[in-house]
Amino acid sequence: MEARPALSIQRSGASQLSNHGVSGGLSSSLPVLSTHLEETYQKFSDTQEVHAEKEMMTRPLAHTTRLPTNNGVVGHIFSSSSGFSSDIHYSSALPNEKHSRNPPFISQSPTNIAALPLSQSSNSLLPQSTIPIHCNKENSGSWCTDPDFLDFPEWADQLITGDDALASNWNELLVDNVTDMEPKTTYQVAKPCTTVPAQNQQLPSPSVESHSVVNPSSSANNAPAKPRMRWTPELHEAFVEAVNQLGGSERATPKGVLKLMKVEGLTIYHVKSHLQKYRTARYRPEPSEGSSEKKLTSMEEISSLDLKTGMGITEALRLQMEVQKRLHEQLEIQRNLQLRIEEQGRYLQMMFEKQKAGLDKLKVPSSNPENPPAPSDATNDNESPTKSQLESSQRDHVNSGTGTVNAKSMLERSPQEICGEHKAPETGDLEKAETCVSESSSQPSKRPRIEE
Amino acid sequence: MKFGKRLKQQIEETLPAWRDKFLSYKELKKLVRLISSAESPEFGKADAGAEFMYLLNNEIDKFNAFFMEQEEDFIIRHKELQQRIKRVIDTWGPGGTKPSEAEYKDEMAKVRKDMVDFHGEMVLLVNYSNINYTGLAKILKKYDKRTGGLLRLPFIQKVLQQPFFVTDLVSKLVKECENTIDQVFPVEVEAEIVKEQREAITVAGKGIFRNTVAALLSMQEIRRGSSTYGHFSLPPLDFPDSDLIHSFQLNSPITTV
Repeated sequence: MEARPALSIQRSGASQLSNHGVSGGLSSSLPVLSTHLEETYQKFSDTQEVHAEKEMMTRPLAHTTRLPTNNGVVGHIFSSSSGFSSDIHYSSALPNEKHSRNPPFISQSPTNIAALPLSQSSNSLLPQSTIPIHCNKENSGSWCTDPDFLDFPEWADQLITGDDALASNWNELLVDNVTDMEPKTTYQVAKPCTTVPAQNQQLPSPSVESHSVVNPSSSANNAPAKPRMRWTPELHEAFVEAVNQLGGSERATPKGVLKLMKVEGLTIYHVKSHLQKYRTARYRPEPSEGSSEKKLTSMEEISSLDLKTGMGITEALRLQMEVQKRLHEQLEIQRNLQLRIEEQGRYLQMMFEKQKAGLDKLKVPSSNPENPPAPSDATNDNESPTKSQLESSQRDHVNSGTGTVNAKSMLERSPQEICGEHKAPETGDLEKAETCVSESSSQPSKRPRIEE
Repeated sequence: MKFGKRLKQQIEETLPAWRDKFLSYKELKKLVRLISSAESPEFGKADAGAEFMYLLNNEIDKFNAFFMEQEEDFIIRHKELQQRIKRVIDTWGPGGTKPSEAEYKDEMAKVRKDMVDFHGEMVLLVNYSNINYTGLAKILKKYDKRTGGLLRLPFIQKVLQQPFFVTDLVSKLVKECENTIDQVFPVEVEAEIVKEQREAITVAGKGIFRNTVAALLSMQEIRRGSSTYGHFSLPPLDFPDSDLIHSFQLNSPITTV
């Protein structure tokens, strides 16, 4: 598939970068990027881009979902360091994550670049066993033998006792899940050179590697990249139970709650931040991020409700509910459609690859020179009517409410036309459809198989 | 730039605290343009792709972080609301410890209002998720179109699995909320009255109601069919009561009341 060549190019590109005395390669490419991005992405250091490349190099096809994000995280570590803590457990706190979006932590890129070479070789990210290359690299990395590793508890504690605000930030970054945690991940290791979050220090990177964590089987969080906790109502129930046992939200301590809950993989950071939220929720009923605005707007709303002639508050609320329900309904429908569309896309992709593979096998020197002209016209002609046919059928079907199923079958019925269409939107070039034609010429034989 | 405009509108009308959590569609679009026009050697395709991906990933991180935090808040508040209802019933309700019809009515009215707003906020979060997804899909399509890359398909597959897109839990909470609301609302002579009195209703201020109406209208607009309609596009939106929704005249955010 075309994806592969692209990736291999990146692979070689990236490996070139890592092979140069990194700094050389980096410094040339970085300034260019920085000028490009300065306006919009001032916060991100250029070094991060390199990490992105590395990540590209080792991640074939979106195998894991969160890896690249961790890439960013690691980048943040190097560029805008503001204290990391790493746990021997799974979770690690990355205050950077949030702070990186805030100007204060604009990295000192020049100084960080020097740090890069070292960190680059020990590639961060990619914890998963599905990417053996990296695993090897990582394992060979020094984190196991890193003397600083032992220092974690110390400065981790320092960080713990730091700002509450920070704590809650960190906790957001803690991946995790609940009950079915499989400890199949790596640890995030960061040099504890910063204890004061506000400082922008450069990390002595040689031994720094970060790995991503986890994967809670019960959550949709499939990639280890970021340690992030996804709470569920059940978990919250357990939490409330524990808190009540300890005498209420004021008296309960995170440590106590953690012990009582006995949930594997839950860390004190998670509990701490959750407790904070819980306390706020209790003492200011209906608090939310927008609550102060909401209070304001609820006043406005009440007065506007009065304006709704003849409508009592209850009716107005009902109306509001109607609209909200409607929106929710539509959102669900839309989401399902989107899922199906992508499913189709994936299916088509797979078909392409199969055909290509098959075609390569069957390739005869004179591969159907007489076929192209006819089928190409046919395919091209088929494209537009079929396309509009698909669109209108989609429209109709959706309106009738049985949309998703029918749309799918519509699409499935005409893989040949779609073959051309698929390429066209992707490349915006009708001529490319012709390359598809040679593939489609082999399609008739494959068609029965497809339609099964 | 139709989607971009729509998105901008949505952002303006959304809860203030959410405003910077949306997709930076405009910036990404600029980047794509930059990438496709500037073919400088140092800034080759591979770099550009990596850069783009990097930024997208950051956006995704942003969504995930925000989404999960909101979700956590919702879980807590959901439980709290239910307990609150229970408390109100147990205290001021007919069989309660200090039954008082006035208090009961009063408190229940507050509870109802809060519940409806809570419901709205949750739905808006689902909308947030969806609109960001749509934006991502669009920007990826643009990227592929402009640079001939094939980033879209694999990337979007990955996005589909992201926590911010998996809105099942929030949807479940929404439904539970609806059930509770049904129980808590007085049984009334329903929708007929409401239907009859559907005059032009002005929605002032920045309330949740306004946001949801705006979101619905936006959605309809976004899906209105475009020049680049393809089989990866969503069909136009059509829902009942669309006239009603359109009849809500949205005032400017500047309150005049």
